[in-house]
Amino acid sequence: MTVQVSSPVDVVTATVIRSAMETICFEMATYVSRTATTPILNQSNERNATILDATGRLAALSVGIPQFMLSSTLPVRFAADFFAGDLHPGDVLIANDPYHGGGHLPDVNVFAPVFDAEGTLVLFASIQCHHGDTGGAMAGGYNVFAKDIWSEGVRYPVLKLVDRGVERKDVVLMMRANNRLPGFIGDLRSQVGAAQLGARRLTEIIEDYGAGTVRAAVEWSIGDATRRFSAEIAAWPDGVYEADVYVDSDPAGNTDIHVHVAITVEGDRLIIDFEGSDTRPHITAWSTFGNTRGNVIAQLASLVDPSIPKNEGFFHCIDLRVPPGCCLNPPEGKPVSSGTHHPGVEVGDAIALAMSQIIPDRCCPQSYKFGSPRQMWGDADPRTGVAFFDHGGEVSAGWVSAAKGTDGWGALSASNGNLIKASAEINEQLFPHILRGRNYLTDSGGPGRWRGGCGSHFVKEVRTPTRVNQYIVNQRHTHPGIAGGHDGTPDRCTVGTVEVSPAVSGVLLQTGERLDYRFGGGGGWGDPLLRDPQAVLDDVWDEYVSVEGARRDYGVVITGSLAEMTLALDLEATEQERKARR
Amino acid sequence: MTTYRIGIDVGGTFTDCVLKRPDGSLLLEKAPTTPLDQSDGVMAGLEQLAAAEDMSLRDLLTGTLTIVHGTTTGDNTMIQMTGAPTGLLVTRGFRDEIEFRRCYKEDIWDPTLPAPEPIARRRVRLEIDERMTAEGEIDTPLDEEGVRKAVARLRAFGVTSIAVAFLHSYLNPRHERRARELILAEYPDVEMVSLSHEVHPKPPEFERTSTTLVNAYVGPPIARYLRRLTERLADNGYAHELLVATSAGGVATADAAARRAVATLGSGPTGGVSAAARHAAAAGLGDVVSVDMGGTSYDLCLIRDGRPDVKMDWNWFQRYCVGIPMVDIPSVGAGGGSIIWQEQGVLHVGPQSAQSTPGPVCYGRGGLEPTITDADLVLGRLDPAGFHGGRMELDVAGARAALADLGGRVGLDAEQVATAAVRLVDAHMTDAIRRVLSLAGADPRRFDLVAFGGMGGVHAATQARALGMKRVLIPRAAAGFSALGLLAADHVIDGSRGYLSPTAQADRGHLAELAADLEGSARAELRIANVPDERVRLEWSLLLVYPGQTFDTSIPVADPCEVEAAVAEFHRRNAEARLIEARAQEPLLRGIRLTAVGEVDRPADPELPESGVVGPVGHRRIWAGERWHDRVPVYAMESLMSGFVIDGPAAIGGTFTTVILAPGDRARPTPTGDLLIEVAG
Repeated sequence: MTVQVSSPVDVVTATVIRSAMETICFEMATYVSRTATTPILNQSNERNATILDATGRLAALSVGIPQFMLSSTLPVRFAADFFAGDLHPGDVLIANDPYHGGGHLPDVNVFAPVFDAEGTLVLFASIQCHHGDTGGAMAGGYNVFAKDIWSEGVRYPVLKLVDRGVERKDVVLMMRANNRLPGFIGDLRSQVGAAQLGARRLTEIIEDYGAGTVRAAVEWSIGDATRRFSAEIAAWPDGVYEADVYVDSDPAGNTDIHVHVAITVEGDRLIIDFEGSDTRPHITAWSTFGNTRGNVIAQLASLVDPSIPKNEGFFHCIDLRVPPGCCLNPPEGKPVSSGTHHPGVEVGDAIALAMSQIIPDRCCPQSYKFGSPRQMWGDADPRTGVAFFDHGGEVSAGWVSAAKGTDGWGALSASNGNLIKASAEINEQLFPHILRGRNYLTDSGGPGRWRGGCGSHFVKEVRTPTRVNQYIVNQRHTHPGIAGGHDGTPDRCTVGTVEVSPAVSGVLLQTGERLDYRFGGGGGWGDPLLRDPQAVLDDVWDEYVSVEGARRDYGVVITGSLAEMTLALDLEATEQERKARR
Repeated sequence: MTTYRIGIDVGGTFTDCVLKRPDGSLLLEKAPTTPLDQSDGVMAGLEQLAAAEDMSLRDLLTGTLTIVHGTTTGDNTMIQMTGAPTGLLVTRGFRDEIEFRRCYKEDIWDPTLPAPEPIARRRVRLEIDERMTAEGEIDTPLDEEGVRKAVARLRAFGVTSIAVAFLHSYLNPRHERRARELILAEYPDVEMVSLSHEVHPKPPEFERTSTTLVNAYVGPPIARYLRRLTERLADNGYAHELLVATSAGGVATADAAARRAVATLGSGPTGGVSAAARHAAAAGLGDVVSVDMGGTSYDLCLIRDGRPDVKMDWNWFQRYCVGIPMVDIPSVGAGGGSIIWQEQGVLHVGPQSAQSTPGPVCYGRGGLEPTITDADLVLGRLDPAGFHGGRMELDVAGARAALADLGGRVGLDAEQVATAAVRLVDAHMTDAIRRVLSLAGADPRRFDLVAFGGMGGVHAATQARALGMKRVLIPRAAAGFSALGLLAADHVIDGSRGYLSPTAQADRGHLAELAADLEGSARAELRIANVPDERVRLEWSLLLVYPGQTFDTSIPVADPCEVEAAVAEFHRRNAEARLIEARAQEPLLRGIRLTAVGEVDRPADPELPESGVVGPVGHRRIWAGERWHDRVPVYAMESLMSGFVIDGPAAIGGTFTTVILAPGDRARPTPTGDLLIEVAG
């Protein structure tokens, strides 16, 4: 039944089918944007559409967030096995369980099998979205203080939400009963509609081209990514490259959560082994296997030609070894709310650091150091008398690494470039606070030949008594520099008079008190003593760097004053200063 | 007295000038575009029109009632980043919004993508002590001395154009207005002051700041350009207002356009879209997708209920957010000039283009890489002798050799490469249409296609077929269509005012005040443009969101105080489009918007006489509908009269455009001479 893609004309058909699949992913994601009401779904683009083949291999994907797009395959694979022989046209399934392929509970996968005219399963259309609540002990779907998965929320390993075209009202009722948000079922139905749209469009494509050709096109596309990715690997020097990265502390206070990676380059293949990573059973920072795998691939994808299609081909070139029981592949039952992010994203840092030993020019950690979402709530907004809950989704800047040739810029790394974050003006309408500022912090970007992006100074003043949850990282183990670039500055946060380290829960701010968060900068790239002195002078004019910082971090001597507009380079002194440091 | 109307559209290569005579007949002239000062090309085009009409330029312009002009001066300023030295004053603590961009980055997979080139570096973005609350009340009074010092500093940095973006100024503009007074007092010869509440009076802060900054940056060059052109036209006898195309698909007086210069960005393709809307309506089509396939790009627009889709807030233009309403014309890099290439045995088309120089191989201007035009030529879909009305001979052998050379590297012959490339480019284009339609939640099968631009007619029927569309309209004046469209564009004044309130508590009195304010300024603007009051149509909408949503929805209302009706419609639209249970949530009011439309006179297009049978002017071997056909009849577009029917396979050649019909496709001219194709299923 399989048609070989043997001639270049078949390749044209295959590329046309691939392009159509990418468009279908786009259509599914757009459908959710148009139809969901939860802001994180309809406006921040945290929705990841994928198409998988009958065995759950990734065929195509669309906009979203790399780590999560790439982690959406395993729940589908589990479902395909679980319901083997019992999937039918018109079925739509949902899954969110971190221990059946998922990342964390708020990320709900909705997917529909697609069949050919003979009733043979050919593809899946899948859409994963982040939801605002998961049931469990704490509103908001982010209970970083949970001691186990059950106190984080309700697990759905896989359910048929729609059975042969008919919505199961028992399942809908159960899901509604287990969620705090009135819009939850509506948002789920938005995903269902998207999956059905995807399935319908894929069915048309199967009708047009035949299932054999579509399968062959998927095979070719995966092969194409495999070939191009492995060609890049083959150009890397063989050897074993290791790195260690730490998270300051989990929310419970267990310090120095350890990620260790050893990457073996062997011809055109990689062995990525996390043996040696943290195995303490009592920590609360756990990244599931699916989440770890997504972070591995997301970082690797950023190291290679960005035009390589993102599909199963990436996974084909890698032998991924994550020892069961370590913090990156937890035993069933461990909490994952904080671990999805930390040590989840530190996996990317570790890979960037390890690979920077051989391909520094391509390495730029695509991570963030969010800790957890800031939660602020109170009994009554004085303007309306209504209780409020602020998930802290506003813009702030931090942890943007420099890449070779490019200073860190913007607010977050490229991999978060689809997250459109909330504004001060709108959030001040919704919540009783006033944002006093969030400017870049001078001297916070990690020095380097290319400078890390600056962190920002975020100050929120409450207009009524407000309680705060906050967990922070990046205080001791800060965002890493690459190739001789320095690390970014640490995060610091005070809630009123309370210094957060690593977490506070339910701290009360009185009217007029402030949350003061200094977000750390990104890591630099390359030796800061090699930075063009003119670029340093420009940075001083623009207050990304101070006159003192220029001398201390870059060995660049600048005379005059910014206030008087008399800044100038002392090239001679700079040369001496730099020579003395070498 | 004769009353001519003239549309002038500045394109990348040519400045198109269309003259509409009082009887509705048309004259098209093309002059080379003069990028350094576009008014040179404009004046040259006008001279050509006058010469073709056998009159002096002065007589032509004295007898001209309206000149409508589409300029790309602002677009070029943004592409080359050559705007005015611009500074920005912001509320203390909000100096870096323009760099944060709400975290948006264009490529999530490429960490080496550089930052956008700054309009205002951080050193000329200065903070002012002042603050309004989300209720529009003063939290921190304006530090007037701080403004004076900041302005002195900006001036010392060489800034000539100043943008002011204070938080919540769309609710209470007092501080911004006072800042302008202080700026003008401190720096009287500043070229321009742009206040955020005037440029884009809406939250949130990033979109408003960015839009205002762009306005400040492109404003001075656009104002200088329009002043120069206005003077040259007046010197040559033109006695009326110069009208300038805007991004919202309307026109504005040169003065208004200079003050709100940002509104001219991206206005280039709007003329074609307006014309497409009109021609579709005249041909009896319903909702359509218009596609403009030229040399380098493929521009698309959805036209529903006769109106092009307009987008606001999250518009990106040359890496800057421009939040004002813009006709939504997404563009993909695919056209006749798209280069066909291979990588590891896989064929690709575009997005690189051979541009007009060197151009496709078959132009014989030194182009070495085969393009879609070369492929279409080798496939018999273009007439080597009849291109550009026979003014240009195409080199078939050269095109074939280039395709064969490329084919040699992937194991294909020239014709196989050509058919593969055409399939690829058609797939790119149909995917692009699907994406646009999906963003609008629309089903392609319910749309017809209007295709123009030099290559539109060659590919349109195939694309329509792939999308399940039933009909394609090819305007006879497919070239120069944009310039023609400018003449059909109405005056559009788009204004909005922020007003934040739960809908249930919305104060009708306050809404009425805001509405009166909006209406007053729109009518004043239209009076300057000589639009009589009875030709002004007011279209009101209220901006609503569910709590927690960021981007608001514009809900049309008959009366700006009809909050309940707007809420009901908002719920209804959400329920309809969203499969979602009725909302328990009460929507929030974000603001009020007025689109004031001043209708222009539009002489009717002359109808063509009916004709009998028209014979083909020749025969060619043509690839259409995925296979070759020998001896396909070729017709001359200009000779077709209404009532005549052509069945595919066939080719129809016009001066600047060609139409290809596959077997089963059937074309007939409309009474005004456009070509309507019924597409085979």
